[in-house]
Amino acid sequence: MSETMTTSILSELVSGAKSPASFREIRLEAEGFLAESRIPSKKHEDWKYTNIKRLFDNGLNLISAEDITFNSIDSVDVSWSTDESLIGSTAIHTKEAHAALNTSLFEKALVIRVKKGVQVEEELILNQTITLKDGEFTATRVLIVVEDNASLKCQHHYSGTPSNSSLLNNLTEVFVGQNAQLELNYVQEIGEGNLMTTTEVECQRDSNFTTNCVQLYGILLRNNVNIRLKGENIETHLNGFYMLNGKELFDNHTLVDHLVPHCESNEIYRGILAGKSTGVFNGKVFVHRDAQKTNGYQSNNNILLSDDATMNSKPELEIYADDVRCSHGSTTGQLDEDAVFYLRARGLDEFGATALLLTAFASDVLNGISNEELRTSLEAKIQDKLKEMRA
Amino acid sequence: MSLLTIKDLKARVEEKDILKGFNLTVNPGEVHAIMGPNGSGKSTLASVLAGNESYEVTGGEVDFDGKDLLDMAPEVRAREGLFLAFQYPVEIPGVSNVNFMKAAVAEVRKHRGLEPLIAKDFLAYMKEKKALVELDGKLAGRSVNEGFSGGEKKRNEIFQMAMLDPKLGILDETDSGLDIDALRIVANGVNKLRSKDNAFVVITHYQRLLDYIVPDFVHVLYDGKIVRSGTKELALQLEEKGYDWIKEELAEA
Repeated sequence: MSETMTTSILSELVSGAKSPASFREIRLEAEGFLAESRIPSKKHEDWKYTNIKRLFDNGLNLISAEDITFNSIDSVDVSWSTDESLIGSTAIHTKEAHAALNTSLFEKALVIRVKKGVQVEEELILNQTITLKDGEFTATRVLIVVEDNASLKCQHHYSGTPSNSSLLNNLTEVFVGQNAQLELNYVQEIGEGNLMTTTEVECQRDSNFTTNCVQLYGILLRNNVNIRLKGENIETHLNGFYMLNGKELFDNHTLVDHLVPHCESNEIYRGILAGKSTGVFNGKVFVHRDAQKTNGYQSNNNILLSDDATMNSKPELEIYADDVRCSHGSTTGQLDEDAVFYLRARGLDEFGATALLLTAFASDVLNGISNEELRTSLEAKIQDKLKEMRA
Repeated sequence: MSLLTIKDLKARVEEKDILKGFNLTVNPGEVHAIMGPNGSGKSTLASVLAGNESYEVTGGEVDFDGKDLLDMAPEVRAREGLFLAFQYPVEIPGVSNVNFMKAAVAEVRKHRGLEPLIAKDFLAYMKEKKALVELDGKLAGRSVNEGFSGGEKKRNEIFQMAMLDPKLGILDETDSGLDIDALRIVANGVNKLRSKDNAFVVITHYQRLLDYIVPDFVHVLYDGKIVRSGTKELALQLEEKGYDWIKEELAEA
């Protein structure tokens, strides 16, 4: 398909939008960016393994956004907005086509705000059940603001069984204020659907931001996490765990941007791949010249359970400061056969031994989730998927 | 009836024949020591009996308590009561000793038609077995063998053996590399587990272990076969004279 045709598909999609009058400025910026750009194809370095263009080539119809439901908590303001001024203020829509597309097309934004100094005890749970049919596309938008000295824990679940020719694009902008704390957990299990999620985070000094993303089902899941550390003494943890089977393709792209001194980032992404699945991990840690005394750690470990599964892992460390402690490592291998035999020699059957080892492998990521109930339910889901992988 | 009967066992690894017609009969209540120079096939024997699939059995029969051992998966052998204390215990990050033993004991009990132990009883049972090998309480909570010293790993093997209460314990060079204190602890653990109903096959390089675990029989394994059998005096003779005299006698024969 030629580039001009691709561009026209994009503009058709945009012109079909209901174009609410709100968010006019950022929509114009986004459309301006889209006019200059194309739908990412495999020629783009960031989309080398993940063919999103195929969905657009087959034609997508814009439909109204899928609903996001949430529990009501007294100390958190959650509402749908068409005029919140912080929407778009990360400016990601002027840098990435998928974010620009989201910004052009979303109708209303779910705005979550925790006011200064408020410590939210109960966990906020967002549920997004996707029901998109053949060729349907929609964009959803979330904003999370945790003001200075406040704290929040939030889960965002993507579920449902959308069509394998549909696409949901979600963009979540996150602002973590001074000395504030946010834990944001994602669970993605959408049958054979396609999902593109972006979390764009800005942290202020002395804050603590943790995000964990567990990917279980989807024919194509693309998860982008970009964290900008804008003040000193920020601690951030970004973890991911993914399990792939069949022809699933899960792609995690992360960026931690160390702009100032004395911050710490810890990143662990781990995955288990079976069948003919394909995994992608691209983790960038960028340490700017001024960001002295940065501690930046990243690791990506993968276990391949079949000869036909593929993992593409690319850790990238760019360091321009001269007094930092940073490390990164990437491993991809098979399950340790000696360990399996050792466990079997103590009476565990082959599946029990394998499951015990793989659950342990996942635990370093899952332990980053503070909610025990969520962790337990994820462990059960992991067991279920392991059984499917064995079949 | 004998507990273990090995007849003309032949096995190879990576196209190389290691066991070349091995015979051994072990009765309940007995301790057999198997000694032999490096490369004679001692560890291969242990691995083949435990069911390690890297080794290919090319001939022979093994009867374990009336059943065909070679026909069983490794886990079934373990549940039937065969225990191998590994020469090199495997480190398993992220799996705690406690959870590992919970899973293993549950499988073994299920196989023997016993109800699973409730949490309180399991912990009491574990405490009793830990004391047997003077295993530090902290080690039980840590990941299996991860960061354990050599002595701790071997003690952990004997602890696991105590937990699973096997009919036959095979100790594959459990003494190698242990200082005298650790050796005593390991040997005492084994001695406390000895009964008229179970048996042990102790594979070792060194006679020293046999001062602590006194064997009923000593066998010399050389080039894949047992070439000498005797009592504990044979071990002393080997300690003093090495293996060369046996090799020479075999060459003359």
